[in-house]
Amino acid sequence: MSVIPEKVINERVERTVRPTTVSSDSIGVFHQKAHFWGRTTLFLLIAMCFVPPLYLSFVLDAHPGWSAIITGLIGYASFVGIFWVLEPITYYPTLGVAGTYLAFLTGNIANMCLPCSAAAQKAVDAETGSRKAEIAGVFGIAVASITNILVIVTIILSGTYILSLIPPAVESAFNFILPAIFGAVLGQFAYKKPLYGIIAIIVGMAVLFSPIVGFIKIALTVGIVIAIVLFMEKQKEKKVVG
Amino acid sequence: MMEEVMAIANSTAFWIIACIVVGIVLFQAIIFMRIAWKSAPDVGMSSNDVKTAVRTGFVSSLGPSFGIAIILVSLIALLGSPITLMRIGIIGSAATETGAAEIGASAFGTTLGADDFSMEAFTTIVWTMCLGGMGWLLFTALFTKTLGKSQQKIEKKNPKVMAAVSLSAMLGAFGYLISDQMVTSFGHFSAGGIALIVMVLIMIFAEKVNIAWLKEWALGISMLIGMVTGYFLS
Repeated sequence: MSVIPEKVINERVERTVRPTTVSSDSIGVFHQKAHFWGRTTLFLLIAMCFVPPLYLSFVLDAHPGWSAIITGLIGYASFVGIFWVLEPITYYPTLGVAGTYLAFLTGNIANMCLPCSAAAQKAVDAETGSRKAEIAGVFGIAVASITNILVIVTIILSGTYILSLIPPAVESAFNFILPAIFGAVLGQFAYKKPLYGIIAIIVGMAVLFSPIVGFIKIALTVGIVIAIVLFMEKQKEKKVVG
Repeated sequence: MMEEVMAIANSTAFWIIACIVVGIVLFQAIIFMRIAWKSAPDVGMSSNDVKTAVRTGFVSSLGPSFGIAIILVSLIALLGSPITLMRIGIIGSAATETGAAEIGASAFGTTLGADDFSMEAFTTIVWTMCLGGMGWLLFTALFTKTLGKSQQKIEKKNPKVMAAVSLSAMLGAFGYLISDQMVTSFGHFSAGGIALIVMVLIMIFAEKVNIAWLKEWALGISMLIGMVTGYFLS
């Protein structure tokens, strides 16, 4: 990408300025680039999303009529529409800017992107929420995204032949992959702060069994746990000061 | 009727579209690794750390990737290979896409796999999926900048708060997700519980004996042991 003159200048400036700037400025440059490329790739993909339906409707002449399409969309939106907004906000504090662009383009956020981001952060001993953690997480998610797409492509191209080689026992073991992933991720964060881990499960269980609409449950759990942890950290600070 | 639909769904045009989508996903991942790699030294990541993070991402993503691949097979029969590849490659999961397919089909007044399932019904499904899945893409494309700005504001006021928020958001999300899974069955309960315990033991052990590579494998190992436990106890 360094063929673009602007970029070259940018990089040169960044390099000459680097020794004197504090690290928060260089993360600013990183965020700028992340916004630029994140938006570019997302808008490209959004444009691509129009191609298959337009092709079917108007090139192959199989247009079902706008009323059927709108009925379908409204039906779908009433089923997942709230997640379009809730999920990015809920996961942003853990994904960060670049992680959000990566994870919401590739999908499988809770079952792949977040676990891989967390694992990469822990492997380099980065403190959660730090700049180092943010960058390490980007590597974790980006590599996961590549691995995932390569696995999917291989399996689809092999005409699911590879999957038929998997013994049935292994396949039924995969029924338990979600709880195993979620448990492992929770353990990864809770081992240093077991109390917070226990609080997270208690709040999770309480929200799960309370009679509220399903779709806000995860965001609500996140909100409550943030509030409790912030409150407890504040109390701790007071104790240290006092 | 269904054979005719599938012939078109598996035609070259859709393979080309699927390839472009896969290309965008790969391109984005590579470009983000490049810019992260440039910023790595400034945040205290050595080139060794970068290698560790990359290896960890790879090892940890194998299990989830195969888990995703096993479920996507059910979609191939409904949508054909290229559209499945396109939908699963970008935001979307087998569960939401199946839901979208059912909703799209009923919007056209038919059901999946019915005798009267026509090209038009299939087109309705594709519209529903493609535009419906765009909601996430649009929101993140438009509002991630806003989220970033609010983060900066919070950090300016109190730099420590963001670390606590980040940690507790993670704990909260997974506290709920694990609760939701663990009440499903005894197998799920033990898979989640054992994976959690194994992870804690691995992390404590890795830190005591100072084995760095163990941390790279921690997620993969605890996931595997959790899965196997769930299988044998169910």
